[in-house]
This record gives sequence, structure tokens and C-alpha cells, in this order.
Amino acid sequence: MAMIYLDNAATTPPNAAAVEEALRLLGEEFHNPSALYRASFAAHKRMEEARRAILSCIADPAKFALEFTSCGSESDNQALFSGARRGNFVTTQGEHAAVQRTAEELSRRGVEVRFAKLDRFGRVDAEDLLRLVDERTSLVSVIHVNNETGAVNDVASLATAVKRKFPRALFHSDGVQAFGKIAFRLTNDIDFYTVSAHKIGGVRGVGGLFYRKGAPLHPLIFGGGQESGLRGGTENTFAIAQFAAAAGRKFASLAADAERAARLRGLFLEGLDADIFSALSPQDGSPYILSVSARGLRAEVLLHMLDDNGVMVGTGSACSSKNRYSRVILACGLDERTADGVLRLSLSSETTEEECRCAIEIINRCARELRERMR
Amino acid sequence: MEKVIIVRYCEIHLKGKNRGYFERVFMNNMEKALSGIRHEIHRPSGRYLVEKFDEARAEEIVERLRRVFGTHTLSVGYKVPAAMGAIWEAVLRVAPQAGTFKVQSNRADKHFPLHSMELNAQIGGRLLSERPALRVDVHAPQSTVNIDIREDGEALVFCDLIKGAGGMPVGTSGKGILLLSGGIDSPVAGHMIAKRGMKLVGLHFHSYPYTNMQAREKVEDLARILARYTGGMDLYVVRVTHIQEAIHKHCPEEMMVTLLRRFMMRIAERQAESCGAQCIITGESLGQVASQTIEGMTSSNAVVRRLPVLRPLVGFDKTEIVARAREIGTFETSILPYEDCCTVFLPKHPLIRPDLVKVERAEAALDVDALLEEAIASTELVTNG
Repeated sequence: MAMIYLDNAATTPPNAAAVEEALRLLGEEFHNPSALYRASFAAHKRMEEARRAILSCIADPAKFALEFTSCGSESDNQALFSGARRGNFVTTQGEHAAVQRTAEELSRRGVEVRFAKLDRFGRVDAEDLLRLVDERTSLVSVIHVNNETGAVNDVASLATAVKRKFPRALFHSDGVQAFGKIAFRLTNDIDFYTVSAHKIGGVRGVGGLFYRKGAPLHPLIFGGGQESGLRGGTENTFAIAQFAAAAGRKFASLAADAERAARLRGLFLEGLDADIFSALSPQDGSPYILSVSARGLRAEVLLHMLDDNGVMVGTGSACSSKNRYSRVILACGLDERTADGVLRLSLSSETTEEECRCAIEIINRCARELRERMR
Repeated sequence: MEKVIIVRYCEIHLKGKNRGYFERVFMNNMEKALSGIRHEIHRPSGRYLVEKFDEARAEEIVERLRRVFGTHTLSVGYKVPAAMGAIWEAVLRVAPQAGTFKVQSNRADKHFPLHSMELNAQIGGRLLSERPALRVDVHAPQSTVNIDIREDGEALVFCDLIKGAGGMPVGTSGKGILLLSGGIDSPVAGHMIAKRGMKLVGLHFHSYPYTNMQAREKVEDLARILARYTGGMDLYVVRVTHIQEAIHKHCPEEMMVTLLRRFMMRIAERQAESCGAQCIITGESLGQVASQTIEGMTSSNAVVRRLPVLRPLVGFDKTEIVARAREIGTFETSILPYEDCCTVFLPKHPLIRPDLVKVERAEAALDVDALLEEAIASTELVTNG
């Protein structure tokens, strides 16, 4: 059975050509980029080329720099621990765990943490966010594309509004679900921006933190002075090269891919049984993420049935007594029964129309069957 | 000077003519526990001596052997030539630096020039002058320095006693099938019965897609932990999804758990028969949950035709069970938050005192044999050790 993969917000299959290239590099260009012989220098140069290529995808290289990290979570951690060292930290109720849990740790370390409310789709309430920012705010962090609902926050405008109120406050955004998927450029009011390779066809093990030149950034990992002293540890050169290749491909066809994804997403909105499913994602959200709830059915059970029938999806809940419901879904003001039934369907530029049509049919069939069994 | 581990066993000496058999099984279990580590085990009178191992792995060997049922105590010591100089060197390594102590010698080789009492006095005296923080207490010492002069011209020197798991060698008391849910109780129940020498096989029920693979993995992890005590433990995994669906569809909601338990017991007995197990072991504790009332037990017990059902925890409080689970190392795994099949279609008000007649009447709505056959056909075997 050929599986249909609809969990691309969790990770994307790495592009085959890129994998081949990465493996070649792993074998032939394994040298430590910090060493002084020619082969090392070649590895170093390839990495710097990759850095410039990724940087220029969304930023002006004269104003921004890019640090390679091991993953999006590390980038989030570093931005938060660097930026929120005193006073208060303002963020939203819709953040990824990498920001949410770090915020909790900041709170334990004596930084006051304030969470702005969400609207029904998972977008931050801009007014509430700005109300929470005051002269003691050291950092504001707002997720760019919500990883559960796909809601898009206008982080450029939010950053500008924050700086207008208090120019000294720093601004970070987690752009893991946005980078390479929606059109966007970093503006001067954004100080830190997190990205990850494996959400756009790269391999796991490399993430990035864009930072405005001059923004205060401190290492989490001390060591041999790599990444301009911002991150110790021998660089993952082959994964970095593959990240650049993946980003290059994504940005070359970003608009066309997004349009296509929006059309496929539309197929689900039309095709899923309206008696069972209701859409939680906003119309103007990321075209790659569609969150729906089969209210009254347990999403994880449905997920297993879909898995058995050849469709892999994500879910906002788990069959566990702890963290049973997604805190983000509840923060959207939805009730527990709705939260219990949340499926997240996430697409990539590789997803085909035929797969979507087939998946819609299977999802409807399994959901109807489960509803029947639970009666 | 060679590091050795001395293992003393528990009740085996009580076993009269069966003693040889018990000792052989115990020896095999120890060998199994030490698989992968180079060593030799010998049995000089009344205890076992583990020798010829890499000294860096001594702690690991002790850790593994102390979990083997039948082990009373262990000591890490030294084997040296039975001469004063060598004995003294070994004593310096094992004796404490401070506190109260005594020296206890045992002279199997009567050719050794000193009597036991003389040896005790000499070694004790030297220790006192060498280590000023030591004091002698022959009645209740904190440490006892033991010197065994053996007939083969060698001596064993050791001090601390490490407590072993106790009980009897697994395999000397037959074989039982343990119902493993993934909760706190059932591993403890299995441990208690295995301690009395019973070989265990596990039986787990899942309800995929209503339960997930993590819940099942957790049970496999629990079986792996128990296997360290029991010298391996196979686990049978049976899917009861359709049974639960059928109960949900055809029977009163509040009877879900009661009826499911009856199916589980039937499957357990069938599985026991096919794998040679002689009893069913459950982690039930009287009154702990709705299905573990005496009426609940009556209704599930009623379907077991031939085998005894052992419920070693029946009189335990939850706090006692938790303490034991922590002790044997299953607690942390047991509390991982995955649902087991009992919580699927969980009624809001489960029946607390099921009436057997009514239960049987409700069950008549089901094709019990067909459901059983189908569930049993789904059995998978996970082997451990």
C-alpha cells in the first residue's frame, strides 16, 4: 500500500536529489571546516556559500546575519535566553513548545512572562499583545505561522507596533512553518527569526537563527568559537549544504507552490464530510496546514484507522491523561470535545491532487465508520 | 590478588533431597543473568564464587546477580594465597576506615599456623593501630571483616554484605501466566510470584486503534524489567478491540469492564494451556477499582474452568504496592500516561457489585466463542531473554 503522507508540518520527506548530494558530501567532504588544510577550507567555503544563499532568501545580508544551529527549538531557545534577560517577556498562547516551555523556564528564572490571547483561529490578538508590552519588556516573541491551525501572524507589523511603543524591546518570531512556504522578508524591526531545514525538504539536524546585526545574542553552547562564537560544536556541513539546496528550490517556486497548496487545501474543505468535520483553520492561513475537528470522535483513534488505511496525518491531541488536549486549540476558545477530535492535515509541494482526493475519501470513510462504532 | 564475588543463597538448604535440583536451577539462572560478561562460577561448599571477570565490571555483576531470585546476600572480596602478608593486603582493601568492626575468621584448612581466634586478634590489632578511627565491637559491629581460610591453600577476604532479591530460583515452582496491563500493580504481582520460584509468561491486551503503540511499548518495557529478575519473560499480546466493540454495541454500558475481564480470563486460561502455564496471575487488589470488588472477582473467576488464579496483591494497599513498584524499578514506566484497553469505552458509572446471573444474561447477547477465537488468533509473541 502506497502511503499518503499528510503530516508535512511535522517533517517533510527530504528531496531525493538533495539526499544524494548530501551523502556525496558526507563521504567526500567530511573535513572539519575549522581546520587549515585545503579540503577543510573547501568545506568551510561551501558552508559559507550556503549561509549566504539561505540568508538572501528572506533578508538583506547587509543588515542581517544567519547562525546555523541544530534545530528550530535550539534557535528559539537561544533567541529567548539572549533577549529576555530581565523585566518581562511577552509572547502568545499560540506558540510552539520550544517557545512555550522556554518561557516557563524564564519564569522560573525570575523573568515575568506574559501571554497574549488568541482569536478563534489561533492568531494573536494584536491589541492584547501591545497592551502587555511596557517599558520593562525586554523581548516579544510571536509565532509567524501557527503550527497547529496554520494561522498567520503579521509579524512585520506587530514588530513595528511593538518598537513604536517601546523601541528598546527586542522582537523574535518562530518562522519554522513559514520559511519557504509563504512570501515574507525580514524587516528592520525584527531582531531574531527561527527557521528549520527539515520542514522544507532538508534533513534533520540543522536549523537557523536569523539575527539583526547588532542584536544582543549569546551562545547556549560554548566551545571552539564556531558560528562567530555564537555556537560551539563542529558544524554539520553536509546538512547545511542540503538545507541551502532545499531552500533554493522552495524559494524558486514559492508563489506557484503556495497557490497549488491552496487549491489542494480547498479540495479538503469541500470534500470532507461536513456532518463530521469542521475547519478550525482560517481561510487566509497557511495554504499548507488545514486543521479540522471531528467533534465527538477521538482524533487519535481516527489517526490509527487512517494509518491502517494508508493515510498519515497529525493530531492535536493524544491518548494520554497528561496534555490530552492541545493547549493552543483550547486557547482558541474551543471546547474539549472539539479539541479531542482535531486532525491536522499538512501538505507539501510534493503532495499530489490524486493523493488528496484519495485521502479525502479514506478520511470520510474511516470517520463514518468510527462514528458508527462509537454509537 | 583477584577480585571475586561471593553469592549466598536463601532457602535452598531447606529442600532436602531436591537440593541438587534447586542448586542447578539457581546456577543456570545466575549464568543467564551474567550472559555477555566473561566470568566463571564455582560452588565451593554452601555458596557460589564468581571469578575471572573484568574487575571494572564487578558492580554490574553484583547488580545483575542481586536480582536473581534465590540470592540471599553477596559480597565483593578478594581471593589471595592463604598467607599472612597477602591476607593483610586484602584486609586493607576491604576494611572500613572508621566506625565499629570485628574480624571473623573461618579456618577450613587446619594447617594454617594460626587458630581463628588468633587470626582475628592479630588482624584486628593491626587494623586498630593502622586506622585510628576504627573501634572494635564484637557484639554489634557496623562492619565485619571476614577471612575464610580454604582447604585449597587460598583465602577469601571480604567485608560488606549486599542484600539479594531473596526467594527461590525461578523455574523451581512451575510456570504462570501474568496479566500485564501496563499499570502499577501487575508487575508487582508478577515479581512477588516469580520470587517464589515461578517462571512467568506475560499476557497483554490491547485495543488498537483505540489504544496506541506507545501503550503497548510500555508493557513490553515492563516485561523487559521483570525479565531481569526472572531470567527472561515472554509476552503474549492479544487484540481485544472487537470484543470491546461487541460489548459496547450489545451489552449494558456499565458492564463493559466486568464483561471484558471475563474475556481476558478466558483468553488467559486458553493461552496458559497452550504454553504450559499452571496458573493465572493478576494484580487485583480488593476494592481498588470498581472491577476489583469481591463481586467483580467472582464474575471474572467464574469463567476460569481449571486453573487457580493467584492474586498476590489482594490484601495490599495502593501505597504498599507503589513502594514495591519503586523498589523493583517498574514504577516510573508504569506511570507513563498511555491508556490501556480498560479505559476504552469506559462507562461513566461502572458496575461495582455485578451480579453473576445478570452478567451471564448480558453476555448471552454475544457470540462469545467466535469473539474468543478471533482474539486468540491475533496473538503475537514478544520474546525477552
